Amino acid sequence: MKARVIKAYLKKEFLELYRSKLIFMVYILPTMILLLFGNGIRMEVIHTRMLIIDNDQSKLSFELISSFEHSKYFDTEVRHLSESRALRLIKQNRKDVVIIIPESFENNLLKVLPVSVGIYIDGSFPSRSKAIENYVNGVLLDASAKKFGSGKNSNGLITINSRNLFNQSMRDEDMVVPGVIGLVLLIAPAILSALLIVKEKEKGTIFNFYSSPVKKEEFLIAKILPVMILHSVNIVILFLWAVYLFKVPFCGSFMFYVASSFIYIIISVSIGLLVSVVTSTQVVAAVVTMVITIIPGFLYSGMMMPISSMQGGSVVEAHIYPVMYFTHILYDVFLVGDGIMASKNVLYFCILTGYATILFAIGFFLLRKKIK
Amino acid sequence: MRSFFTIISKELLEFLRSYGLVVIVLFSFTLDIYIAGKGISLDAKNISTGVVDYSPGVISKKILSHLHAPQFKEPVFFLSQEEMMKAVRNKEIMLGIIFESDFERRLYKQNNPVVNILLDSTAATQSFMALSYIQNIIFKFQGKLLVPVKIQIHKLFNPNASYPYFMALSELLSVITLLSVVLTAAAFVKEKENGTWDIMLLMPVSSKAVILAKSFSQVIIVMAGTIISTGIILFGVFNLPINGSLTVFMILTFFYAFTSAGIGLFIASVAHDIIQVVQLSALIMMPVIFLSGAWTPVHAMHPVLQYLSILSPLRYYIQGSEGIFFRGTELIDLWEYFAGVIIIGGFIYIYGFRKIGKLF
Repeated sequence: MKARVIKAYLKKEFLELYRSKLIFMVYILPTMILLLFGNGIRMEVIHTRMLIIDNDQSKLSFELISSFEHSKYFDTEVRHLSESRALRLIKQNRKDVVIIIPESFENNLLKVLPVSVGIYIDGSFPSRSKAIENYVNGVLLDASAKKFGSGKNSNGLITINSRNLFNQSMRDEDMVVPGVIGLVLLIAPAILSALLIVKEKEKGTIFNFYSSPVKKEEFLIAKILPVMILHSVNIVILFLWAVYLFKVPFCGSFMFYVASSFIYIIISVSIGLLVSVVTSTQVVAAVVTMVITIIPGFLYSGMMMPISSMQGGSVVEAHIYPVMYFTHILYDVFLVGDGIMASKNVLYFCILTGYATILFAIGFFLLRKKIK
Repeated sequence: MRSFFTIISKELLEFLRSYGLVVIVLFSFTLDIYIAGKGISLDAKNISTGVVDYSPGVISKKILSHLHAPQFKEPVFFLSQEEMMKAVRNKEIMLGIIFESDFERRLYKQNNPVVNILLDSTAATQSFMALSYIQNIIFKFQGKLLVPVKIQIHKLFNPNASYPYFMALSELLSVITLLSVVLTAAAFVKEKENGTWDIMLLMPVSSKAVILAKSFSQVIIVMAGTIISTGIILFGVFNLPINGSLTVFMILTFFYAFTSAGIGLFIASVAHDIIQVVQLSALIMMPVIFLSGAWTPVHAMHPVLQYLSILSPLRYYIQGSEGIFFRGTELIDLWEYFAGVIIIGGFIYIYGFRKIGKLF
C-alpha cells in the first residue's frame, strides 16, 4: 500500500462527492428522516374526539360525563342525537368514539339492576382504537368503583403502584428517536458506499481501477474512508438533534455511544460493499440496499415490538440481523444508562465487532480487480 | 389522437421490456405490501412478564391467572426484586409485578393493599397498553364484587383491531404515491439519459400530447398495479373487508395518480439522471407521506402540521380510502375527499406540466 496513492484517490473522492452535491444528501437525508419520524409518529392517544349521548340526564350520568371531561385523553362533547346520526359522525371521521348512556341509568344502578353502557369506537386505526378502549374502560371502572366502593370501604381497593422505568412519562420521542438513529445509521452509509463504487461501474471509470497499478486495498480504503469520515459526523449530529431538539435523556456514556455507532457504520458500509459487488447500475444498487436494510431495520429496531415479545421464527431472525444488538445498546445509552457495566451490553458490542469484521472480510474478498 | 395512443403504447412496451423496472413495480405492489402487513404491528402481545411474590396466599395467584395469552407470556418467577430488576434492565422482562408479603393481609383487613409494578417503558406504546391491561384486570378482579355496570364496547369497522388490515392498506397508498411519482419522472429522465430526448422533440406531435400521453401511460401502469395488489394481496391474502365501493376507490386512485404524476413531472424537469430522480423523490415525498396521516391521524399531530397537511393531496386520498375501506362512508360524504384530491391535484399537475413544457 502506498500512502501517496491513497491520498490522491481520497482527494478525488472528496472532490467528486462535493461537486456532485452528493455531500448534501449525506447530511440532509439522515437529519430529515430523524425530524420526520420524531415529529410525525404520535402513538400517544390524546385529544380523542368523543361524543356523549346522555339519555338519562340524571345526577349519576352527569358525574360520569364529568369524569370523562376531566380526562386529558378526551375532547368531550355532549349532544342529544339519535344513534344512527352519531354513527354517521364516526363514518365521516368527525368523531372517534361515541358513548351512549341509556335511559334509567341512575334508577337501575340505585336498584342494583344491571346497566349497560354502549360504546362505539372507530376501529380504523388499530393501535388507537385499542388505546381508546382501554381508556374508556379505565375511566368507567374507576368512576364506578369510586362511587360504589365508598359505600363499603374504599380502603379495601387494590391500588396499583407502577414505576415506569427508563421513560417515565412515556414520551413517544424517547421511544422513536433512538430507534430511528439506529435505522438511519444502517441505511445511509450502506447506500452511499454502494453508490460510490457502482457509480464507477456505471460510468465505465472503474476501468481506471482495473487497469492501473492501484491495489485492491488502496481502492477500498479510498472508497470507504470518506463514507466513514462523513458519517462519523452524523453520529454527533443525530445525537445533538436527539438530546437538544427532542429532549431525549442521555444516561449512558458518550464514548460508548460513539464507539458502538462507529462499529455499526462499518457494518453498514460493508453491506453497501457487498451490494456493489452484485449490482452494476446506481438505481438497482440504491433499491437493493434500501430493500435489504429498511425492512429488517424497522422490524428489529424495538420501536415496533420489543424483542422479548417475539416468538418462534422471528426470534431467530432478530438474532441473525445485526440491527437488534445495536438498538439494544442505543436504548441503553439513551434511556437505561448501564453502559459497559452490564455484561449484556459488552457481549452485544463484541457481537457487533464480529459482524463488522466478517462482513467486511467477505466484501473484501468478493471485490475483484477484473471484469466478470 | 392516433399519435397520442401510439406514444402510450410505446411507453407501455418500453416499460414491459425493462425487466428491472417491472420487477421493482411488481415487488412493491405485492411482496412489499405483504411484508408490511405481516410484519408491522404495534399491538402489545406476548408481553414478557416477571413476578416476585412475597405474599404467602392465593389471591396473588388468582390475579396472576388472569394474565394469559395472547396479551401476556407465561410469567417468570423471580426470588428477589433485585434479580427481576436486572432482567428488566437487560430488556428480558417488560412488565414486573411485585406482591409484598403483607399484600393479602392488607386486602382482607381493607388496609390499602398495593400491587407494585415495574415497567420497562422504552417502547412507550406497548408498555402503556400493558399497564392498562393490568389495571383493567385488577379492576375487574375486584369489580365483580362491586360494580353492576356492564360495558358494551363495539369497535366498529375493525372489531379485532387487526393490524394487517390497516398496515396493508396504508402501505398500498404509500406505494401508489411513490411509484406514480418515480415512474413518471423516470419516463422522461430516461430519455434525457439515453440521449433520445432530441428524437422526442423531433416527433411530429405537439409537446402537450407527448407530456399528456407519457404521464397517462404511467398512470395506467400504477392503476394496473393497484388492481393486482387489491385483488391478490388485500383481498386474497389479508381478507380485507371493504365497506364502501371498490369502483369509487379506483376512481379516487385514478385522480390521485395524476396528482402524483404532476410531482413526477416537476422532478423530471429538474433531474438529469435516474439517481437524481430517486434522491429527489425521497426528499420530496417522504415528508408528504409522513405528514399526511399515514401513520398518525391528522388531528393528532402538531397544529402547525395540521394546517400544512391541508395542502397535501395525499391527506385527502388517505382519509378517503380509509373511509371507503373501513368506515364505509356514504357516497355523499366522500365529496370533500374527491374535491381535495381533484382541486389540489389539478394545480400540482398543471404546475408540473408547465414546468416540463418549458424544456420542449
